[in-house]
Amino acid sequence: MSNQIAILIAVFLFPGGLFALALGLGLKGADRRVAARLQGRVGPPLAQPFFDLVKLSFKTSMVPTTANETVFFGAPVVGAVSMLLAVALVPIAGVYTPPTLLGNLLVLLYLLMVPGVALMIAGSASSSPYGALGFTREMMIMLAYEGPIVLVVAAVALHTGALQGGVVTFSLTEIVAYQRANGAFLFDPVMWPAIAAFALFFPANLGIVPFDIPEAETEILEGPLLEYSGPALGLFKVMSALKAVVVLGLGIALFAPFGPDGILGLVTWLVEILVLMLLGVTAIRLSSGRMRIDQAFGFFLKWPLMLAAASLVAVVAA
Amino acid sequence: MNILASFKNVAVKSPWIYRINAGSCNGCDVEMATCALIPRYDVERLGCQYCGSPRHADIVLISGPLTRRVLDATRRVFDEVPEPKVTVAVGVCPISGGIFRESYAVLAPIDQYFPVDVNVPGCPPRPQAIIEGVAKAIEIWRERL
Ligand code: SF4
Repeated sequence: MSNQIAILIAVFLFPGGLFALALGLGLKGADRRVAARLQGRVGPPLAQPFFDLVKLSFKTSMVPTTANETVFFGAPVVGAVSMLLAVALVPIAGVYTPPTLLGNLLVLLYLLMVPGVALMIAGSASSSPYGALGFTREMMIMLAYEGPIVLVVAAVALHTGALQGGVVTFSLTEIVAYQRANGAFLFDPVMWPAIAAFALFFPANLGIVPFDIPEAETEILEGPLLEYSGPALGLFKVMSALKAVVVLGLGIALFAPFGPDGILGLVTWLVEILVLMLLGVTAIRLSSGRMRIDQAFGFFLKWPLMLAAASLVAVVAA
Repeated sequence: MNILASFKNVAVKSPWIYRINAGSCNGCDVEMATCALIPRYDVERLGCQYCGSPRHADIVLISGPLTRRVLDATRRVFDEVPEPKVTVAVGVCPISGGIFRESYAVLAPIDQYFPVDVNVPGCPPRPQAIIEGVAKAIEIWRERL
């Protein structure tokens, strides 16, 4: 019984649910604010994404006459719920260990794919040609980045497994515990290519410039999101805010789980996630232009795949 | 009731903008698209965001004298914007037809066809004026929420 309550708290309060939502929206706000400052503008208030969300709940939801209504409204719900579960799976070093009942790294990988699929379904259910274009683009970019991320995760799992004397471990809790006892993988040369591959993966997964091709608003008018309005659009915003927390949190758990126990550990984690957001998302977003889909596809099949494979080979050979 | 009112006060800080070009000479559009968002005149500080889809919008900026050809398309796009919405007519064209007035091809003034809430005169209007127009529109929008 207490186990179930722990899971409920993890999913809805901390670190999932309310906490993650507030953190995700705060990160987006910081991103927009810093971006504006770097361009010499004043920028929106930090809580802007939160205002947007409240605003969207006041608007009417419109459904295209040719759309399939059930799927049209189902897609954002599925996407948001999957991310809610995923946040509860990400450990925070020294503060939170996910209940084993919820699942391990492999479950997390599957959950990470759901938002992309939800967007694809949303795009095709809206029956708009731009949505369909967004669908194909989203699918291509998913195909491109799934390969490298699977290899990165495999490299970390094998590495930890081998170092612990076993073969492979897919428990994020153990991966974090091992690094806290023996030093983070951030300082392990074998892991450097994998870290680079991960750094290239997360802008694509979060759908930001230069890999925001499926939602390019100047080309295909936000693609899958084009027909959404009001609360349904708000759910997509919730989904992407939570996703930012999941992906950044996963990166920290895999490579750099620093920080002491207790409240200080939480503060360290928050600082780390903010720095990652500003360096890995804001800076890249501002300093690059959008790629074409074929360029992005080729790019992912070349660099990140090669880097991740290099790490994997090094781990296996060692 | 009080909670609802305070939520409305929060919601009003996030007006998203959509531009419709109803046959404008592009002068007004350049002012809206580039001037209002460049470093000097930043509408994002009001919480505004330009959006690519009319379905996401709250404030509609219409420029141009509304040529006969675009009337139908403009109406359809305008109806795609979900309620509650506010309409701002930018430039002197939507008010009187501006330099295109008395042409057989234009239908200005556009308030015969669309419920215009705020007029921003000028040919083209200054960015400050456009931002003031948007700020006025936000006031009106607050009442409609
Ligand atoms: S008001 Fe002037 S600048 Fe604006 S669309 Fe009309 S003619 Fe062009």
